[in-house]
Amino acid sequence: MTSETRQERAPAKPAGGARPRRRARYTALVAALAVAVVAATWLAVSIGAVPVALPQTWGIVADRLVPGLVPHTWTPVQEQIVWEFRLPRALLALLVGAGLAVVGAVLQALVRNPLADPFLLGISSGASFGAVLVLILGAGTLGGLSLSGAAFAGSLLALGLVYVLAQRSGKITPSRLVLAGVALAYLFQALYSFVLQQAQSGRAAQQVLFWLMGSLGGARWEMLPLPTAVLAAGLVYLLLQHRQLNALTAGEETAVSLGVNVHRLRITLFVLTSLLVGVLVATSGAIAFVGLIVPHAARLLVGADHRRVLPVTALLGAAFLQLVDLAARTINAPQELALSIVTALFGVPFFLWLLRRRSVDRAVTVG
Amino acid sequence: MRLDVRGVSVHLDGRPIVHEADLLVDDGEFVCLVGPNGCGKSTLMRTIYRALRPASGLITVDGDDVHGLSWRESARRTAVVAQETPAELDFTVGEVVLMGRTPYERAAAEDEERCARALDRVGLAGAQERIYATLSGGEKQRALVARALVQETRLLLLDEPTSHLDVRHQLEILHLVRELGAELGLATLAVLHDLNQAAAFCDRLYVMSAGRVLAGGPPDQVLTPELISQVYTVRAVRRTQLVFERLKEEDG
Repeated sequence: MTSETRQERAPAKPAGGARPRRRARYTALVAALAVAVVAATWLAVSIGAVPVALPQTWGIVADRLVPGLVPHTWTPVQEQIVWEFRLPRALLALLVGAGLAVVGAVLQALVRNPLADPFLLGISSGASFGAVLVLILGAGTLGGLSLSGAAFAGSLLALGLVYVLAQRSGKITPSRLVLAGVALAYLFQALYSFVLQQAQSGRAAQQVLFWLMGSLGGARWEMLPLPTAVLAAGLVYLLLQHRQLNALTAGEETAVSLGVNVHRLRITLFVLTSLLVGVLVATSGAIAFVGLIVPHAARLLVGADHRRVLPVTALLGAAFLQLVDLAARTINAPQELALSIVTALFGVPFFLWLLRRRSVDRAVTVG
Repeated sequence: MRLDVRGVSVHLDGRPIVHEADLLVDDGEFVCLVGPNGCGKSTLMRTIYRALRPASGLITVDGDDVHGLSWRESARRTAVVAQETPAELDFTVGEVVLMGRTPYERAAAEDEERCARALDRVGLAGAQERIYATLSGGEKQRALVARALVQETRLLLLDEPTSHLDVRHQLEILHLVRELGAELGLATLAVLHDLNQAAAFCDRLYVMSAGRVLAGGPPDQVLTPELISQVYTVRAVRRTQLVFERLKEEDG
């Protein structure tokens, strides 16, 4: 032992200044994002074919929550449009945006690859296939849960397949991952297209096809509880596991050496992401790129620690999809665009930029 | 703390990689494991820290079967510094070091304190907010040593911790872990590539070849020309040559 290492150094202080500042910045960021979510939702509820002034939107919502709180300055038609159509749609947009973004963040940790996204990996297509089977083949009479259930089964199947196909002797390579995802997406799209073609009613098939590209047009109040519950439970679980997620991101063997039960964590994350994708796709169809873009943006803002990444991802995703949906129904009004058309405008350039980055090309050891 | 490996065999994809290995590391000892590429030394290490399961045999740490402990408990007994961890995401150094607390309940304030002390100890005081991916190779390895320190284990495993480093930084890391081991009374087992380095740093060493532990003991007794030529199929010639030593200066 050298004398130099024996010397008592002054206790390390430098963390003192940086940490609280960083914490304050994070708190400010979360607050700003929460404001952005509310503002985007407020706008989305007010804008449309029948315009409603911003204060009136508040009034309608407040009046519903606490009757008689504010004087009525709006027409019954405005009230009906805001309360029965736009508000549930806007809330669903928040849920789906937050949910898909969180799923993207979890998948990226799970396969340790920045290209992971429920749509790109064919998971959304698997869920869509399950949903289409129920919609067209008539099991729809069983109600919302069976639609979600079928979508969940489809996404679980797709995720399992992509995981197996992307591996070669224990390693997931990015190219295999993306190719396996693309192949599966085509397979499931072919399958549900076949089912749609065989369908009796061409109009119903047309509607389903539009919905498959992502649409919140069918939003109703009764569609909200299930995704809300699944997303809330999922987020709580993921936040409790944020240290395990961080360790997994650092590598499977690192995670093992840090005391993480990797096998069990991975299975739980598999089921959780499939469940989220299934429940969300059942309400809104498959929306591309949200799960790819948003987690990266969140990491740019707050770094890689999942304790910060997950809440920021959820808020960003919610605000993002709210604005995307608003754009989708106003750009070409009265026609609505499918949401994936709008997200692709942002998503494709972003995806190409990610592909050009060197870090994407690294093979990753698993299992 | 004692690591006791007895009759451990490991198979990968059905092929036997390690065959009935025996190995012992005691408190305060720095033990090296050497052998040619593909001899099974890394596989044996990974089995000790539970990335792999043995096909047969028993690995005990402090008398308990490692593979029978809960994942958290075994991580409270054994810390690992492997080859440079590829950093896909932009974790800060502080976040990387704090990962060492994963097997423990959260205690935010004390953990920050532990993290600061460990970074100070490895010569990276105040580096918490730096991005891990931007560190030099030597600094990355020191950060990983700090992570192992906050894990507060009695056994430290080093799996080729110096393989990507130049000779100065190799010596720096080896000095650091040996000093820490002596200071804290850790049992340390290291896989090293360089025979001269292994001989210079360890109290004892084991030589593996073709999945078997052929010999173990103090380096001057084990590393005979006969054994080396048998294991590496090279001729060992003892002659005066350049020896690298670290300059005594403040953390250069």
